[in-house]
Amino acid sequence: MLDSLFNIDNGYLEGLVRGFKNGILKQTDYLNLVQCESLDDLKLHLQSTDYGNFLANEASPLQVSVIDDKLRDKLVAEFQHMRNHAVEPLATFLDYITYGYMIDNIVLLITGALHQRPISELMPKCHPLGTFEQIEAINVASTSSELYNAVLVDTPLADFFGECISEQDLDEMNIEIIRNTLYKAYLESFYDYCKNLGGTTAQVMCEILAFEADRRAFIITLNSFGTELTNEDRKKLYPQCGKLNPDGLAALARADDAENVKQVAEFYTEYRALFEGAGNNPGEKTLEDKFFEHEVRLNVNAFLHQFHFGVFYAYLRLKEQECRNIVWIAECIAQKHRAKIDNYIPIM
Amino acid sequence: MGSIFRSEEMALCQLFLSSEAAYNCVSEIGEVGLVQFRDLNPDVNAFQRKFVHEVRRCDEMDRKLRYLEKEILKDKLQIIDTGENPAAPQPREMIDLEATFEKLENELREVNANAETLKKNSLELTELKHVLATTQLFFQEEAQTSLTIEQRDSEPNSSITQNLLPAEEGKGPVQLGFVCGVTNRERMPMFERMLWRVCRGNVFVRQSEVQQPLEDPVTGEEVFKTVFIIFFQGEQLKTKVKKICEGCRTTMYPCPESAQERKEMGQGVEGRLADLRTVLNQTTDHRHRVLAAAAKHLRTWFIKVKKMKAIYHTLNMLNLDVTNKCLIAECWIPTVDMGSIRAALRKGTERAGSSVQPIINQMLTNQMPPTFHRTNKFTAGFQNLIDSYGIATYREVNPALYTTTTFPFLFAVMFGDAGHATIMLLFSAWMVLRERQLIAAKMSGEIWNIFFGGRYILLLMSLFSFYTGVIYNDIFSKSFNIFGSSWHIGDNANATEHNLQAWGELTLNPYYRDLYSGEPYPFGFDPIWQIAVNKIAFQNSYKMKISIIIGVFHMIFGIMVSLINHL
Repeated sequence: MLDSLFNIDNGYLEGLVRGFKNGILKQTDYLNLVQCESLDDLKLHLQSTDYGNFLANEASPLQVSVIDDKLRDKLVAEFQHMRNHAVEPLATFLDYITYGYMIDNIVLLITGALHQRPISELMPKCHPLGTFEQIEAINVASTSSELYNAVLVDTPLADFFGECISEQDLDEMNIEIIRNTLYKAYLESFYDYCKNLGGTTAQVMCEILAFEADRRAFIITLNSFGTELTNEDRKKLYPQCGKLNPDGLAALARADDAENVKQVAEFYTEYRALFEGAGNNPGEKTLEDKFFEHEVRLNVNAFLHQFHFGVFYAYLRLKEQECRNIVWIAECIAQKHRAKIDNYIPIM
Repeated sequence: MGSIFRSEEMALCQLFLSSEAAYNCVSEIGEVGLVQFRDLNPDVNAFQRKFVHEVRRCDEMDRKLRYLEKEILKDKLQIIDTGENPAAPQPREMIDLEATFEKLENELREVNANAETLKKNSLELTELKHVLATTQLFFQEEAQTSLTIEQRDSEPNSSITQNLLPAEEGKGPVQLGFVCGVTNRERMPMFERMLWRVCRGNVFVRQSEVQQPLEDPVTGEEVFKTVFIIFFQGEQLKTKVKKICEGCRTTMYPCPESAQERKEMGQGVEGRLADLRTVLNQTTDHRHRVLAAAAKHLRTWFIKVKKMKAIYHTLNMLNLDVTNKCLIAECWIPTVDMGSIRAALRKGTERAGSSVQPIINQMLTNQMPPTFHRTNKFTAGFQNLIDSYGIATYREVNPALYTTTTFPFLFAVMFGDAGHATIMLLFSAWMVLRERQLIAAKMSGEIWNIFFGGRYILLLMSLFSFYTGVIYNDIFSKSFNIFGSSWHIGDNANATEHNLQAWGELTLNPYYRDLYSGEPYPFGFDPIWQIAVNKIAFQNSYKMKISIIIGVFHMIFGIMVSLINHL
């Protein structure tokens, strides 16, 4: 697609998202936030940032959960505004982003139903970007084929469910497998869609999604050690759209402990750098933190190109990371445990 | 010298205020409105400043007031704006204000919670009433069909749970269970589809729409609802149906099977609904009274809280000299206003009842003072116009002074139509004469505010335009012939029938005295131009040349002014 034609349909939204991106908290803001003594100070400082008076109408003793909810509400409002103004193909692109949240919501509700929680208690915990009409009827289903036939067949997630249909009852183990299978199908479908869009979007998004796929492969492998998940089953959960495909994935499928995983990562320069120096000792960054940092770097780089859809995805992820950072700092302040308060991921 | 020619002379002063009197002195100085404070704590964080707790308390009060305002507007009550300007309350009054707001907010929240519960109950009862009415209808229809079946089969039955279809040989009557409830109209298709899918088509649904919209207790909006009744057979289907109903956010109501019980239930519902309605009316009345009482004072409260917040923000900028138990401030004030500032300080100290007099002394400094133009309501519009291009530096010649005439004049040179100028004159004169009422009316709407803010500019523009319109002899693009035109069609015009048909135009030669009288039209363009074919060509080039000459003069004038600035 010619770059000059991009602005006809998407110019306003790209301008809007770049404006939002300029409001993301900088390093100086974080330095001020970690010096706050109480949550009220945090609120006072956030008033001078792009967040403005978002906490203005909250009653006086602030709680971290309230801050978290309000942060998320602001992000959801921005995303909904952009989605409402989007036309094809941006509309489908933004919808694809919401499918990830839908998968998380479905798994949350099924797990809650397993533990006999009433649906009214679970609904507020769902992510607002991932709601769909039939979402509350999920507790009707007790097997995955019922889940598909009754609820999911009308949703956009129907295409991703192909491999998961079985007659087994939904229990803890199966639900995790369903989550990962759904997510794998979703990720690969998203990757193909971006590739079909072509141009700068494909260039930027395919790199980000490839990293996401590889990260999931690593995390699944590391988490599956010591559980009942066999290597064969594990292999079926790896998304195929990353750089590890096919040799890295085959090697990961054979891995039996963390050392093997690290050796697989040695073959890929970026991943070797991430695994190096990662550990659980105090003073070292954990592997998750390193993954987050790499993701943040990729997302910030997405803004260096113009006239592509990757900026929307990147903005959403960066804002989520910022929410996680603020909540981390708020928790450290609220619990007066300031040792690890600097463990947020700096964005800019 | 206090004139609009240059910006005012400013002096940097140091103020020493005793801690007790500081609040009142700052309040009095704020009322005078002529002082700019410098921030003496620039590297202190916002939440480490001295008065940050008070600012936070003011924020809390502001939040409570905004909640009250929202509730008052929801009830469409009028917030009275008397236009009075209350003074900032004393610090000890702040506690009283806080207590009042707290009490009002709690009362309002309680009333709202009660009203919501009552509305929810009344909604349930209304829905139950509709359900009973609709199921009555369903069962009546079924009774009709089963009556006809009865007559055919000659089997007496009156209960609906008997066979709806003619019984087949060998099969006994089957028991059908049913549930009924209400849901939003938009959810009905999705609900039906889900029922069909999960129960594999083994349930029978009937629905009927409720005609009038019902009020949702939480949001207050009106929603349309549908009554449905689902028939099914067997226990498993019953559990499935119940789960789906719960999942799709429908409200279920128990419905008795026999017509007699339904009628009794209906009457009971009517009675309870009437009671609820009375209680609900009383609750809304009470809420109205509370809000009306609050609405009388709301504006003054807002202003008081804002003033307090402003005073504390200013106090945060002062330096606390702990050894001397006083606060030091640095501020810029216009030199001519020293007297009024001293008076304000004295008044503030008196109000605080403090014996220590505040000290104000002027400091010498090399810093560039801020630019202050003293404007009245006439010059304010022009000053705003000039400031949008950039604020003049200290003691520079103020362009706004001569802009009062050059701007409207240059506009008029371009506008030049006396008729349209009259319309503009009437409009701007109306705005100027009705000034006070229009300001009190507090109209919102950006476009209106732009016009109203520039009413004096518009007035002058229209006056000048009238003048240039008369010079151009242009009233609604027509000319007046007041003094008699200097040109005539005389004998020397060659206006013969033959010439006119050949050429179609006449050129009047001013050499001949019977064509041109010799004296030009006294004021403005000659009206003969109205019928001249080359009117546009002449007038356009004339106006352009005039404009260029005026423009050159204007620019030379500007260069002269910047020379004065330099000296």
